[in-house]
Amino acid sequence: MLRERTRNLSNVDLNFLGTALVIAAIGCMLIYSATYFSDPSLSFVRRQLLWMAIGIALMLVFLVIDYHVLFDVAPILYGIGLALLVYLAIFGRQTAHMKGWIHIGGSQFQPSEFTKVFTALMLAKFFDSNERAYLSLRSFIQVMLIIGAPVTLILLQPDFGTAASFFPLLAVAMFFGGIRWRVWVVMILVALLVAGLGWGVMKSYQKERILTFLDSNRDPLGKGYQVTQAKIAIGSGGIHGKGFRNGTQGKLGFIPARHTDFIFSVLGEEWGFIGVMIVLGLYLFLIVQALTFAKHARDRGGTFLVICLISFFIFHVLINVSMQIGVLPTTGIPLPLLSYGGSSTMMFLIAIGLMLNVDMRRFVNE
Amino acid sequence: MRVYRDDQKFLSFRINAVLWGIVAVFLFLAGSFWFVQGVQADKYRGLSEANALREIVMPAKRGLVLDRTGQKILADNQPAYTLTLDRTVMRPLVKGDPQHREKLIAFLAAVLGVTPQEVEARFEKGKLIPFARPMPLAEDLTMTQVASVQAQAVAFPELNVEPVQRRNYPYGTMAAHVLGFIGEVNEKDLGVHKDLRQGDLIGKRAVELMYDEYLRGRDGAQYWEYDSHGRRLAEYRPARKEPVAGDNVYLTIDFELQRRAEQYFIENEFVGSAVALDPRNGEVLAMVSSPVFNPNVYSKRFTPEVWKVISSNPFKVELNRAIQGLYSPGSVFKVVMAMAGLSDHAIDTATTFHCAGSGVFFGRRFRCWRRQGHGDVGVSTAIKVSCDIFFYNTGARLGVDKISEYARNLTFGEISKIDLDGEKAGLVPSTKWANEKQHRKWYPSETISVSIGQGPLIVTPLQVANMMAAIANGGTVYRPHVLKMIEKVGPKGEVNRYQVASEVLHKVPNLSDRALQTVKAGLWKVVNEEGGTGGNSRITGLNVAGKTGTVQVVAQHGWVKAEGMPFRERDHAWFASYAPGAPGDVPKMVVVVFVEHGGHGGADAAPLAKLLYESKFRGQVQNANFDLSNPETLQAIKEGEAPVPGQKPKAPPVPAGTGH
Repeated sequence: MLRERTRNLSNVDLNFLGTALVIAAIGCMLIYSATYFSDPSLSFVRRQLLWMAIGIALMLVFLVIDYHVLFDVAPILYGIGLALLVYLAIFGRQTAHMKGWIHIGGSQFQPSEFTKVFTALMLAKFFDSNERAYLSLRSFIQVMLIIGAPVTLILLQPDFGTAASFFPLLAVAMFFGGIRWRVWVVMILVALLVAGLGWGVMKSYQKERILTFLDSNRDPLGKGYQVTQAKIAIGSGGIHGKGFRNGTQGKLGFIPARHTDFIFSVLGEEWGFIGVMIVLGLYLFLIVQALTFAKHARDRGGTFLVICLISFFIFHVLINVSMQIGVLPTTGIPLPLLSYGGSSTMMFLIAIGLMLNVDMRRFVNE
Repeated sequence: MRVYRDDQKFLSFRINAVLWGIVAVFLFLAGSFWFVQGVQADKYRGLSEANALREIVMPAKRGLVLDRTGQKILADNQPAYTLTLDRTVMRPLVKGDPQHREKLIAFLAAVLGVTPQEVEARFEKGKLIPFARPMPLAEDLTMTQVASVQAQAVAFPELNVEPVQRRNYPYGTMAAHVLGFIGEVNEKDLGVHKDLRQGDLIGKRAVELMYDEYLRGRDGAQYWEYDSHGRRLAEYRPARKEPVAGDNVYLTIDFELQRRAEQYFIENEFVGSAVALDPRNGEVLAMVSSPVFNPNVYSKRFTPEVWKVISSNPFKVELNRAIQGLYSPGSVFKVVMAMAGLSDHAIDTATTFHCAGSGVFFGRRFRCWRRQGHGDVGVSTAIKVSCDIFFYNTGARLGVDKISEYARNLTFGEISKIDLDGEKAGLVPSTKWANEKQHRKWYPSETISVSIGQGPLIVTPLQVANMMAAIANGGTVYRPHVLKMIEKVGPKGEVNRYQVASEVLHKVPNLSDRALQTVKAGLWKVVNEEGGTGGNSRITGLNVAGKTGTVQVVAQHGWVKAEGMPFRERDHAWFASYAPGAPGDVPKMVVVVFVEHGGHGGADAAPLAKLLYESKFRGQVQNANFDLSNPETLQAIKEGEAPVPGQKPKAPPVPAGTGH
């Protein structure tokens, strides 16, 4: 048993793990550069390092336990995740009109981030036992319920950004699960019906929040301003960048949320086009590696688990990087492992652990 | 070796499709970044240099300071204009035109009416302020100055006229020592208050300092976009932080009492102090220190010359004599002596000593203030006529350490913990003090001097008031305080009021009820019986009780009339009292008056006490001829021209029928 485990651990893909850790390390440097001026006590960097340490510990836990065992307990984890969301929907403290944070002692964490991983596990478990290339209507509804439950609870908070970040799971289920055209039609009709009913009962500020979410031009001096400033930061970085700690746009506080959602603008300004290409390259390498894991996974469950998890990475990276230069509207979606934030850093590290988990157990004769 | 799966082909195909799709998107993103960072880099670099979001501080409105009723505002804020310089705008202009700086300085010197050197000095001083923040150059601009600056806005776009709220004390010198003043932060303040920045204003003295945390509020900020020419474009609203106004502070000060007491000092050109306390809770009803200063002068930034004038005043204008002036208590200390003697059984109510005008103690002759002596006197008569011989005997029996113990219990030798800064503790001598602090032996003859409140013993007027309050209320020492209430006004106008609870510091130990009754009876006689030294404070229908005191400033040989002496050598005058003070009364107010070089306690200090009691208990005072309701006088005081001792005040017209 012990020998088996050591042999397994020797199968960990160090390139993949290394890439993830290098991205996280770059993230810490950028957070430092973005905040040292306004926060000389470096509390952001310290907290980020602490979360990374906790995240790496969690990653190891989710790496060592065989993912089949995790499939067995997936309903329990998923249940816990939903219970936390229910708790929040009912008792959550209002943080900026949003109940998404649970306060533990002095710090806060966002259960919805962990629920993402648990939902991915639940979905992978479902596909593990559903071997058909195309989903039946019944199976499709089951999949919708698995994804829909946490999304509904998050919408109750209401946190549209986080709810939207469950979208990749839906895409995975539909694209890789396989859906026939009849189901597509049914789904679109249901979606329209729900949207119409929802719009009717929503309060005006909720509507406004959705519209702003969809179109940042509605709030030109708000998010539009943010993008303008981010674009100026990135553009002024040029090819070589202004150098570590030398960015002015970020430092002088022109870019709100520069250490979280707009950390990439700090990269663009200080490290230039070269830095941008390096980090994009690291992400691409991570994604290509993960898709290779998915192809070579031992079973259908493993394949789906990796695809679900990497889909979060793909979604976050593409949306976030695109919004930096105004290709897509601004949303509150952080960059995996690069942006400041405890829950999201931990969630992505756990995902890295799970993907390695699937990869190192790809050989059948254990 | 892998398990063959049916779906393998299906999944592999779709995974590959996703893979290539992602590679394509990444290539597209790389191209986009190349466009922004490679092709358009220069454009954005230019924007980055010019594009600036500048913070404009929205100063919080400082809280009001009000009297105890809330009807009189003692400190408020007045709209004023401050001239500031934006160095981020100035820099490119100086680069473009080497003469720009000179022109600017010449312009400023002309508009402000100062020398170019003074303008340079202000530039230099402003260097401490962060570069991106506006640097104040002048305050309280006149409308003409505002117009001149605005007329030259094109030539000097770096100059801004900012509307500000300037601290204003509507009654000028009124209660100045209690209110204190504000001023620019110094390095020490910045070390203590992390939220403050160079150039901010902060309370510097007294209530403005002690309750600065409440009064100050929190500054807000606006963020404005500027173009490369330094023109304001638009405000970046989401970042806006609204200022939070400071809380209002209600003082325990009774406006009428304070006004009358100050007027008394101004009118008589007295230097000194008066304190009125509520003996039931320690509230300070009035606190006067004369001469006065005008805090409006301090709340301006660019007035170093005023500082020089004030600090060179020989009367130490800034000193709050009520808590910082240290004086011998003189005969007022006989109250403590009587309490100590009776409580410690060194004497009793039947004890009499013979006063023949002088007596020999420990080999030295000590005089009574009354050359012909008082004859045989008991304790209450001794208090009434302030017989020195009686208390010399009492002191000789007690010894200095017993005296010291009772004096400390009755609030001397320690700060009273009043909520004002810079309070002095005074000194109560003892043999231990002589040994440890003076490295000498205590001479028994010194005890005799201390017995009548002379010698090394020094006290503040507030301590005397506190002692009288403890006698008046039967032995409770309250913490004296000037804060009555904090009023927080929320953003939607909701008002929360927080009253200050009275705080008992200690109960005076070993205080016999009999001693208390005897001393109180003596204090009543001082004022209300023929032959008492405090007859000048007598009010028909109100039983004032008190003790006079006269302190020798220069050792005198023989008996000299005060009027014939130079001012600096004249005696200090004390009157410490409370009312109503007949047996069985609950005293409601303690008044202590101290006049430096005043001559006699009974003649110079007691009349003010009378004035204050009349004001408090009857609401009508006959002998007030310096009326603050007279607009002319009020204006004079507002402008800082309040009469100072040694300089005759402008005689205000006396309202008919109030002369005396």
